[in-house]
Amino acid sequence: MIKSKSLSSRIFDIIIIVVLCAVAFTCILPLWYTLAVSFSSKSAAAAGIISLWPVDFNLTSYQQLLSDTQFFKSFWISIQRVVLGAGLNFIVVPLMAYPLSKSVKDFRGRNVIMWTVIFTMLFNGGLIPLYLTVQQLNLMNSVWALVLVGGAQTIVFNIILTINFFRNLPKSLEEAALVDGAGPWYILFKLYIPLSIPVLATVSLFSIVYHWNEFLYGLIFMTREEFYPLQTYIQQLVVSVDPSVMTEDQYKRLSEMSNKTLDAAKIFIAMIPVLVVYPFLQRYFIHGITLGSVKE
Amino acid sequence: MKLKGKFVAFVVLLLLLLLAACSSETASNDDSEENGTEEPSNDGKDADPFGAYEEAITISIGQEVDPTDTSLTDGDTPLDNKYTRHVKEMLNIDVEHAFTASPSNYDQKVSLAIASNDIPDAMVVGPIELRQMVEADQLADLTGVFENYASPAIKEIIESTGGVALDSVTFDGKIMAIPNAQASADGVHNLWIRKDWLDKLGLEPPKTVEELQEVARAFVEEDPDGNGEDDTIGIAGPDASNKLYANFLESSNNLYGFDGIFSALHSYPGYWLEDDGEPVYGSILPETKEALGTLRDMYAEGLIDREMGVREDSAESVISGKTGIFSGPFWMPYGPITDAIRQNPDANWQSYAAPLDANGDYTPHLMTPTNSYVVVRKGYEHPEAAMKILNNLVAHESEHDAMEGGGGPGYYPIRLVYAPADEMEVTTVALREVLDGTKQPEDFYDMPSYKLIHTDVDTIFDAKLEPYDNMNIEYWNIDSNHFTRAYSALVGTAPLVDSEIKGVKSLIYYQTDTMESRWVNLKKLEDETFLKIITGAAPLDTFDQFVEDWKQQGGDQITEEVAESVN
Amino acid sequence: MKFKGFAKHYYLMMAPGLVWLFIFSIIPMFGIIIAFQDFNPGRGVFGSEFIGLDTFRYMFQLNDTPIIFFNTIFIAVMKIVGNLIVPLVFALMLNEIRYVRFKRSIQTIVYLPHFLSWVILGGVLLDIFAYQGPINGLLGIFGIEPILFFGKAELFPYLVVGSDIWKEFGFNTIIYLAALTGVNPALYEASGIDGASRMRMLWHVTLPGIRTTAVLLAVLGLGNVLNAGFDQIFNLYNPLVYSTGDIIDTWVYRTGLLNLQYELATAVGLLKSVAGFMLISLSYYLAYKLTDYRIF
Repeated sequence: MIKSKSLSSRIFDIIIIVVLCAVAFTCILPLWYTLAVSFSSKSAAAAGIISLWPVDFNLTSYQQLLSDTQFFKSFWISIQRVVLGAGLNFIVVPLMAYPLSKSVKDFRGRNVIMWTVIFTMLFNGGLIPLYLTVQQLNLMNSVWALVLVGGAQTIVFNIILTINFFRNLPKSLEEAALVDGAGPWYILFKLYIPLSIPVLATVSLFSIVYHWNEFLYGLIFMTREEFYPLQTYIQQLVVSVDPSVMTEDQYKRLSEMSNKTLDAAKIFIAMIPVLVVYPFLQRYFIHGITLGSVKE
Repeated sequence: MKLKGKFVAFVVLLLLLLLAACSSETASNDDSEENGTEEPSNDGKDADPFGAYEEAITISIGQEVDPTDTSLTDGDTPLDNKYTRHVKEMLNIDVEHAFTASPSNYDQKVSLAIASNDIPDAMVVGPIELRQMVEADQLADLTGVFENYASPAIKEIIESTGGVALDSVTFDGKIMAIPNAQASADGVHNLWIRKDWLDKLGLEPPKTVEELQEVARAFVEEDPDGNGEDDTIGIAGPDASNKLYANFLESSNNLYGFDGIFSALHSYPGYWLEDDGEPVYGSILPETKEALGTLRDMYAEGLIDREMGVREDSAESVISGKTGIFSGPFWMPYGPITDAIRQNPDANWQSYAAPLDANGDYTPHLMTPTNSYVVVRKGYEHPEAAMKILNNLVAHESEHDAMEGGGGPGYYPIRLVYAPADEMEVTTVALREVLDGTKQPEDFYDMPSYKLIHTDVDTIFDAKLEPYDNMNIEYWNIDSNHFTRAYSALVGTAPLVDSEIKGVKSLIYYQTDTMESRWVNLKKLEDETFLKIITGAAPLDTFDQFVEDWKQQGGDQITEEVAESVN
Repeated sequence: MKFKGFAKHYYLMMAPGLVWLFIFSIIPMFGIIIAFQDFNPGRGVFGSEFIGLDTFRYMFQLNDTPIIFFNTIFIAVMKIVGNLIVPLVFALMLNEIRYVRFKRSIQTIVYLPHFLSWVILGGVLLDIFAYQGPINGLLGIFGIEPILFFGKAELFPYLVVGSDIWKEFGFNTIIYLAALTGVNPALYEASGIDGASRMRMLWHVTLPGIRTTAVLLAVLGLGNVLNAGFDQIFNLYNPLVYSTGDIIDTWVYRTGLLNLQYELATAVGLLKSVAGFMLISLSYYLAYKLTDYRIF
């Protein structure tokens, strides 16, 4: 593109590279820092003297972590939640998006349903009615409560994204199929879905990340720690405790805790699944988002 | 179009089905409530406070479980441990968990249970929840249960509060919950000071607020820990989960607050006081403005921890040896002090009845003996089971430590704290008498409502080294298992025994009607304004605006209600 | 009407999704009526006494109401603006880089924070910005007194906005990068031959090429003016910063669930939903008018 490289242009390049590297560095900093803390000694962590390198390197936190059965239980619940949640999302999203990607001309009920769906995204009665609903359906303490409640709130956005992607597929494809006598199911499954891998991968990734990261519903719908998904489990460890409501013996037990290094180890392990998944899906979500959202 | 109609019909059908499901559910709830109104007979004919059920019964409870706690051993769980086994063995009651929650989420779970009208058979709640539940008619009337089933020990302890405990659970003449009652020592916030720092800098323990400021200044500026760095904190401040001062609803166990400084200036924010026979709220009085001014100056000068209100846990800086002064009740050795001393055996933390007021009197605010309650669900078949569980607790609490298996006492189902009002003071005096040889341990063996005194007098020589009348840290065996308890009694409680306490009580320690809807927001206004004033984020005169706002947003109305309720 | 007779299939396709949304989004909306009641949990939502607009009147008397609305809008607007500009600048810088592999690596790294939950990032950020944390350690080297970052009410909103932009900017560059690839290379070549400097090319070729995208994103941002990020603030805030950091969602959570003021919490939540619905409608309209783009 640019043939001659002037000195100023070269300096410009270098400045940009340096800035980009610096910014990228800040993005891995939290990961790095957590790792450093998790490998440090308890006292160093309590004293706050760790910066970028472990102090008194040791593996105690990870050894302790291995004996923490609740951590792994919660990890497993989160995995279940992600698989069920993303699976359901993968099935329901294209089924909703395809009819809704039609114009009102082709599908008369389209606008009413579209606005109803949007409406559900914006209005809610708060946590208590949600809690009552889940209770009536006997879903308390079930991973399905997390899958269904959280899913219902995020699916709308995914549907919108997919609608936009579908709309950008060449109209001629569908028309040709119609001429051949294809029905809507055939068009959706044989034509649209195979062409929509980028957007479906993208909404699946969104769904995976959402279900992995969400913590509040675990706190609300699970009555016992053994049912907590991983983020809820970590959140309650990190949140501070209110000593004013406590008796002296509770406080005594509290003083034995405060385990930053173990927390760091848990946080780090909790990051791993996401770290593993997203680079592989990167290629898809770049296409999925851009094609789904912007029509130039 | 036809199909659209069908679809609409389908949706309507679905809606109807779901509504039917919901309403039938409500209907059945109503049924059970109606059944529940026929209270089980508590005529007391065969009432046995400690009797085991012939056939095992089940009670489902809400249980607080600290996720960071690792004290349970050998495969014990919050549901199956020495406490639940003890309840089963003694009373033939099976405990189930309707929910468990970490201490910071327990309130949220209780709130959801109340809101959804699906409450456990029994659980521990605070005063706000109690009122809400009484109003929602969710609770069983425990009048008969209390009269017939409360053990003599519990009755005696509750009576020692002079009616306060029972008043707080009596609605329309009915007892709607079982109150706790605790040693009043929890409500006096003494100053804990590093005596080794005082000695090193050649200072005397402070008596007045001015002297306290001088000591704090020296602690901040003169490098008392001798590491050559300017890293020491004078006076610790409340952390994110503590309060500036205890208040009439939570009147005890406030750590790292400024209770003592307020009291010494005769300011009692958060308390209902009497002024010319009329109730007034302490936070809006001129004394409080003055005290806030004093604290504001101290903060500006750096005498108070800069990070107050933000720290996750102020204990950390005490343990790491950076803090020189903090406020807290007698049991601070169970808090940060034991850890601090184990980290640095020279850290000579002593407790003082200070600061004193202008007349040289010690005038702390006093606590309510009651702050938590066991409630029983309306319609639960065995309301007396909750009472029996508590009877069993009080009767056998001192044996629990010795029982097989780990786990802190918090795992006892629906545990309430029961202690005679003067429990700690009596213990301290007893220990002193045993130490100086004027009495023998055996003299204190027969005091059943003082549950721990037996162990205390037996083990004191394990924790305390000679000379027995010198409480400095070098004369203690800090590795003893009994050190924490003994240090709490002999050092932590000493100021309560040795000084004359001219304490101030709140007129009420419970909520009135309007408070229910308004108090939380008024309290928030108060907390935020005061915190900003102290940290210098707002000018001192913001106080006047606060008083206006407070009165206008329901404060005046509440004051009237308080007047009605005390007269 | 080439899609004649497809409607029933369309409804059938959407049935699972609609049932899902109906049960978990529409039914719980009955809870909205709590806002108009003196809610008594014993009598339930259907049995409590109606008190009309009393709760709303009380809401407008409260000092908190204007504060939380202001905080929410202040934080959200700064986030929206920052999340438009920072990714744009970053995308433009990346666009200047021609080493594909370097570009890829930087991209992959800066996506990372987007995928981590606020539970985890909250824990890590509080640690890094702690009074004795590494950031203050770094400032100490330059002789700057340690700063109590997350305890200063005047800093808190900016920290929230800054950390949110930091978390999301990498991910947000995706759309701009896609738009940039859409700029016709012939235009660059033409201006290159004219001897235009790189800055001039940026100004006259690159920016006009992505103008539509930027406008569209700005308009879409409107819908988020009342969403300042519950997860983030819930995991970062403390009582000291309520005055500037408490937003509608966190306030509603505390008021409703921790303080048992169900009516008030529901009323404020409803107000937010109504305003949010209007904003979304506005952005739908503007997007259509300004860029001829239908969001859904």
